[in-house]
Amino acid sequence: MASTHGAEPEADDAAKPEEAIYEEVISCEKMELSQRLAVKELITTEASYVHNIQLCVSDIRAHLQKKELPDLDLEGLFSNTDDILHVSRRFLKRLEATATQEHEQLLCISNLFQEFKEEMETVYKIYCASYEHALLLVESYRKDPRLQEEILETLKATVPHTGASDLSFFLVMPVQRVTKYPLLLGKILENTPTSASAYPALQAAVHAMAQVNANINEYKRRREVATKYNKAEHLTLRDRFARLNTHSIAKKTTRLSRLLMHEAGIVAKTEDKEYDDLEEKFQCVVSSVAMLKENVASYLGHLEALLVPTPHKHELQINEGPAQQYRCFAEHLHCTVLPEFKQRLDRLVCQPLCSLSDMLVGPQQLVKKRLDKLLDYEEMQERKSEMGSVTYDEEAAMNTYLAINALLVAELPQFNQVALQLLRQMLCSFSILQRDLAAQVLHQAEKDLQMPHGHMPLPSFWKMVEDTLRQSGTQIRTFCQVFETVTPSPVAQPLNPAEERKVLSLVSKHGPDKLYQVTSNISGSKDLDLTLQRGQIVALLQSVDTKGNTSRWLVDAGGPRGFVPAGKLQPYCPVQSQQPGMQIPTLETSTERRRHSYAIPEAPRPQVATFTPAFQVVAGFSFTARSPQEVSLQAGQQVVVLEPHDKKGSKEWSLVEVNGQRGYVPSSYLMTIPVQEPAGWSLPV
Amino acid sequence: MKQPDTKADTVQDRAAQETDCTQDTMSKSAVKISSDLLSNPLCEQDPSFLEMVMAFDTAMKRMDSFNQEKVNQIQKTVIEPLKKFSSVFPSLNMAVKRREQTLQDYKRLQSKVEKYEEKERTGPVLAKLHQAREELRPVKEDFEAKNKQLLEEMPKFYSSRIDYFKPSFESLVRAQVVYYTEMHKIFGDLTAQIDRPGLSDEQRERENEAKLSELRALSIVADD
Repeated sequence: MASTHGAEPEADDAAKPEEAIYEEVISCEKMELSQRLAVKELITTEASYVHNIQLCVSDIRAHLQKKELPDLDLEGLFSNTDDILHVSRRFLKRLEATATQEHEQLLCISNLFQEFKEEMETVYKIYCASYEHALLLVESYRKDPRLQEEILETLKATVPHTGASDLSFFLVMPVQRVTKYPLLLGKILENTPTSASAYPALQAAVHAMAQVNANINEYKRRREVATKYNKAEHLTLRDRFARLNTHSIAKKTTRLSRLLMHEAGIVAKTEDKEYDDLEEKFQCVVSSVAMLKENVASYLGHLEALLVPTPHKHELQINEGPAQQYRCFAEHLHCTVLPEFKQRLDRLVCQPLCSLSDMLVGPQQLVKKRLDKLLDYEEMQERKSEMGSVTYDEEAAMNTYLAINALLVAELPQFNQVALQLLRQMLCSFSILQRDLAAQVLHQAEKDLQMPHGHMPLPSFWKMVEDTLRQSGTQIRTFCQVFETVTPSPVAQPLNPAEERKVLSLVSKHGPDKLYQVTSNISGSKDLDLTLQRGQIVALLQSVDTKGNTSRWLVDAGGPRGFVPAGKLQPYCPVQSQQPGMQIPTLETSTERRRHSYAIPEAPRPQVATFTPAFQVVAGFSFTARSPQEVSLQAGQQVVVLEPHDKKGSKEWSLVEVNGQRGYVPSSYLMTIPVQEPAGWSLPV
Repeated sequence: MKQPDTKADTVQDRAAQETDCTQDTMSKSAVKISSDLLSNPLCEQDPSFLEMVMAFDTAMKRMDSFNQEKVNQIQKTVIEPLKKFSSVFPSLNMAVKRREQTLQDYKRLQSKVEKYEEKERTGPVLAKLHQAREELRPVKEDFEAKNKQLLEEMPKFYSSRIDYFKPSFESLVRAQVVYYTEMHKIFGDLTAQIDRPGLSDEQRERENEAKLSELRALSIVADD
């Protein structure tokens, strides 16, 4: 209720005081009436509005939804009308409740608007921003006869009383309503005397709703600009060429020249520190997201590589003890623990990272576009200052720049902040994933593995392992030696006495250096060819045959003489003590040895003795020393015989020096071999 | 006699893969994640972010050094012994070959003796028979000795592998346990420092999704 006080015009005749007062009273009453009507209008229109929105949501939309028409984009048409409905319903309830407040009603209404303004702005801006799009949809459906039919049918079924032939009848209502609020409030305000107690509050409410509308418009504009420019364009070269025309070329040229002028310092760049800081931070976000994505992908790649070979499939054929346990453990890791880790990593880090990376595109495009538009803007600024005004298009272009700039300045801070928070969350997830992986591996190890020395303190454990390995290393070396000393059967088979005698006669006839042993059976084919067995000894007479062929030699086989292929002969040396083909690392008893060795009879010795010491003593076989008096030999090593007998005079052992060491070795292990041709040897034939 | 050298290769493959190559590169790529992030100017912009990334980086680098230790230990106690064990095989194979050769000789001479034994017992035949027998004897003894030796030593060698590899397996396990224990500790501490450890995976996913939705709601982000 408004008070009856009002500003009275002073310059009235005292003669018409009653008229003036009467008029005043009437105008006051009129005002009050108008005010009350305006308030009523507010409430009743709100009620019918809510009712209509209700119809829209529950009846029309639901009806269309039931039809399940795939071509019908209900989301695009109706947007967030259900949210609008919720807000408006609550608002209406409260609005109707103010009627009981009587004197305080206007104040309550003003406060109500203040309370709801933010919510309204949030809900309506979304709707208004997509309203254009909804209209486009309606238009396109109108052109499709089948859909249009469906829509009409629905409208007839649900809201026949409205006689609406189009969805837009309903869709426009929220847009209209929100713009109506300031007008309705304004009407109440104009019918309220300025002295009224609720006047300031009302005024504030009017401004608030006007501001809401302004914000909605701004949001809508930014949304449009954003949607226009935030998509990355994937144009082919052809498309790009198609876009070229004089206008676009001119535009781009202007921009380029402006850019160059900036770089050259001819023209001052528009400095906008606030924006520049934001952009810089944004670029940091871009680069770190890209890098993180790459690194995480690489990490994941290595993890997958680790999963590929299946170690538990490889057999050492040890089916017990630590090896078996380990195999079990490795299997569990590969089949359970690691795949789970990979999955979690994917869900908690990789996927969000990819999504974030995709979202970077929009802002990047806008940043680029902003720069382009800035160049245009500066251009036009100049022109404006020169010519006083610009064309409509140019004005629009300038506004576009301002819109993009405002948009980026408004939204980049939030973008940067949220992106950073997301990065933090991902790092935290990564950390916890590593911890959990470790925990699971340890848990699995506890289940699968009972290592005998599991609780030994670490240094002593490693020492124990080291010592054990050293011992087994020695054992391995022993095995190696064992297998190596299974020496090849000497081609020099032990000669039977007859053969031995033959050898001696050959030696006496031709000299020891002319002896050759047959390495494999020879079957003579030609006239003068000999047939010989492997192992037989012959003496070389001529190393070339009658035709000059050097691979066919004339030999004396201790009786018959003939030709044999040179390739089947190898030099033979008569040894002082010849060893049999059997070698065992354990020292044979000398009696055994004597059984197989053939002592060269004394008789030919004088002749043999003239083979003066162009001989060398070498170790025929490897021997491992088993006491400090003995010394180890390697087969083929040169030794110096110090004494060919031991301290007791036994000829079985010889004192030798080898490798700088002295010690006894079995004499039978020594071989004497000719070193070079004894010079000037001759033997009476 | 079976050829035992194939097993050595597969064992070597397995152990090698276990230690170097992939696990090492994985550790290195983990370090790269944090160190690249640290060097990004984003860290300069936001001190609390910097703190977090630094802590993260420290943890990764420590893990890498533990990994290196583990690799070295395994190299010493698993790979080296494995190589040593494998080195016996060439000698073993040679010994087997030589036995084979001797066997061939033995068979040949044996058949020769049998051939003469079947013939009519004339003077020259007898002489040849005697000679053949003489030739045969040492070869036969040689073969029997080689055979006996291999029959003794090869199973010994083969069965020695169980005891031989025991310390290697123990060592493999211990090295890994040590490594993962450290890993658990380091990342447990890190999580306590930078995060709230009690969150479940679903909660984390929801948080991520919330942030992503926040971003999607912005106009500057393009709708898909």
